[in-house]
Amino acid sequence: MTKLINRRTLLAGSTMVATTVAMPGILRAAEPPTVKVGVIQPVTGALAYDGQQGQIGAEAAIKAINDAGGIKSLGGAKIEMVFGDARSTPEGGTAEVERMAAAEVSAIVGGFASPICLAASQAASRYDLPYLVDVGVADSIITRGLKNTFRFGPGFGIVAQTGLDNLVKINDAAGKPAKTVVIVHEDGLFGAGLAKLLQAELPKRGFEILDTIAHPTPSRDMSNVALQIKAKNPDLVIPSSYYGEMVLLMRTLQQQHIKPKGIYCILNGAASNFRFVKEFPDAAQYLMDCNHWHDPRKPVAEALRKTVEASGKFWTYNIPMNYSSMVILADAIERAGSTDRLKIIEALNSSTFAGHIMPYGPTKFVGGQNQGAAPVNTQVQAGDIKVIYPTDFADAKVVYPYPA
Amino acid sequence: MIALRTLCPLLVVAGLALIPAFTSANTTLNFLVFALIVALSAQGWNILAGYGGQFSFGHAAFFGLGAYGTALAQARFGINPWVAFAAGIGLAALAGTVIGYLSFRAGLRGSYFTLVTLAFAEVFRILFNAASFTGGAAGVLVKLDVRPENFQFASRSVFYWVVLGIVALVLLLTMRLERSRFGAWLIAIRENEAAAKALGVDVLMVKLQAIALSAAITGAAGGLYVQYFLYLDANIGFGPWISVETLMAAIIGGAGTALGPVLGALALHGLGQLTKGIAGGTPGIDLVLFGALLILAVAFMRDGIIGRLRRLLVWGRR
Repeated sequence: MTKLINRRTLLAGSTMVATTVAMPGILRAAEPPTVKVGVIQPVTGALAYDGQQGQIGAEAAIKAINDAGGIKSLGGAKIEMVFGDARSTPEGGTAEVERMAAAEVSAIVGGFASPICLAASQAASRYDLPYLVDVGVADSIITRGLKNTFRFGPGFGIVAQTGLDNLVKINDAAGKPAKTVVIVHEDGLFGAGLAKLLQAELPKRGFEILDTIAHPTPSRDMSNVALQIKAKNPDLVIPSSYYGEMVLLMRTLQQQHIKPKGIYCILNGAASNFRFVKEFPDAAQYLMDCNHWHDPRKPVAEALRKTVEASGKFWTYNIPMNYSSMVILADAIERAGSTDRLKIIEALNSSTFAGHIMPYGPTKFVGGQNQGAAPVNTQVQAGDIKVIYPTDFADAKVVYPYPA
Repeated sequence: MIALRTLCPLLVVAGLALIPAFTSANTTLNFLVFALIVALSAQGWNILAGYGGQFSFGHAAFFGLGAYGTALAQARFGINPWVAFAAGIGLAALAGTVIGYLSFRAGLRGSYFTLVTLAFAEVFRILFNAASFTGGAAGVLVKLDVRPENFQFASRSVFYWVVLGIVALVLLLTMRLERSRFGAWLIAIRENEAAAKALGVDVLMVKLQAIALSAAITGAAGGLYVQYFLYLDANIGFGPWISVETLMAAIIGGAGTALGPVLGALALHGLGQLTKGIAGGTPGIDLVLFGALLILAVAFMRDGIIGRLRRLLVWGRR
């Protein structure tokens, strides 16, 4: 090797190195400065799938914003993503916030799970760093009085309330075929909380609860749950479980030929998930869910869905929610005309942005919560997920009770 | 050798204490705080398992009780967080004594004791996940109120020094224990319980004291965790992750040595940070790298970092 390096090659080599080192500086000087925005998602660990889906949405939004000329009030500054893996734990999220604060991001979007959102937004509040929660539904996220924390989507309370109201409306419209209910829930934060609420609210709305069945996450077998449902023979089954358990339950119900008049979910992990619908179309048929979903009447949303599906990925609500959170943030930075964190917080507080792709209407943050945010009802119909309620946003009619 | 033994821990603590003087980067401090919390938890485990030979796989039970004690005392009863922290430690120690009494009285040793501790941690996880008093699955939030009397500090370095102070205290305690009569009894039980008993060591009493002390220290780690992150649920408090982190830090560092758990925790988390830096873009690659390095470490450093260092020293003197 030593033979090959003589004076000339050394000279040529060092000139080349010097040029490459110097060049980016010249190039950078010609471009407007970038706006750094942090994106936190759990892309490894238990929540990896949701995290990856969220990342797709955030990246798509950044691409769309940059392609459209970036932040115009900052001379067309492009948005530069600083990505952080929260590793599905609160301390992982906190560590990423620290890194992003040091990297001087102007705002952070994401978190997905409530514990991560709680810890990360709190860490961000130390730096007055605006934090936009993408999905995390725990009501405590926005009731802590943190000035920097905003949530674009609906919280647990709103979703549960809407879910119950819509169930009554759908049931009434069909001539009240369902009177008895069995609740199935996972024993974690979301399932147990929802089951408690359902137990209190359903009897008031004329439903009789025959049984409430809890199961842990993860569960490898749902036969027992299915057999318990069979024994009670309810008109309606209301399951609140994460993806794996829900898929297992639906497949077991199908195998055991258990056919209630309806299966109605609230914030279910699988019912509004194309992976489930495509992999087990028969088990998923006619499943109803009250959940986050994009506005099917908006062309940008449908175009994004086509792009995602063309790349071989499944469409989940994480994508439009992160997409929307990112465009709302970009709008706030645009109006703030600055990368100053406090000015962005101010701009978010006065946001009336309607260019997002969720069925919410204009944005209005009160105490950090977007007042327009609401879930919709979806139903799996012939291998597709359709919005069935509210009728303003619907692209299909509800099939209920299930055809025999 | 004796001088070196006391000098080394002092140097390590002094070095750690000076870090905030050189860096104000909160990324580094945040990482160190978390690593030291794990170190403290491992120090607790080390007393029972490293010195006493009672391998617990359920130190999550004590971590969780310390954390829940600290969080619930202030969230539910409005007790001052410093007092709540002490209450959390007390609760963990009490639980340690009860669990110890039940299992040691029943004569559970070796893998049976390991299994029973694992079961206790799981039972606590399920109970705390279900009970409404503990906030159920929604967990407990400690109110963000940054005041020193509230055990919350505006600067990360102050919290870091508090954690480091407690770690140093436990380090001193462990070093004293090594040379105390109690320590000798404990080691005797580890080496041969029957022989220790024959020589007149009150085996049950010594084991109970060890598990109470061990639980209190790991409970303190839990309390610090919740004061730092201000959020807790049953999976964080009692999840297997903390039992594993605790075990790994102590074993990688060197079980049955005073400094081992601290070095182990710093090395493990430092390695994690390093692989994160190297791997960069692709998520998960750093974890793969971390796993591979861990396998190598376990394969080539059977008696931990301290054991390896000692052997190097002996070899150097030859």
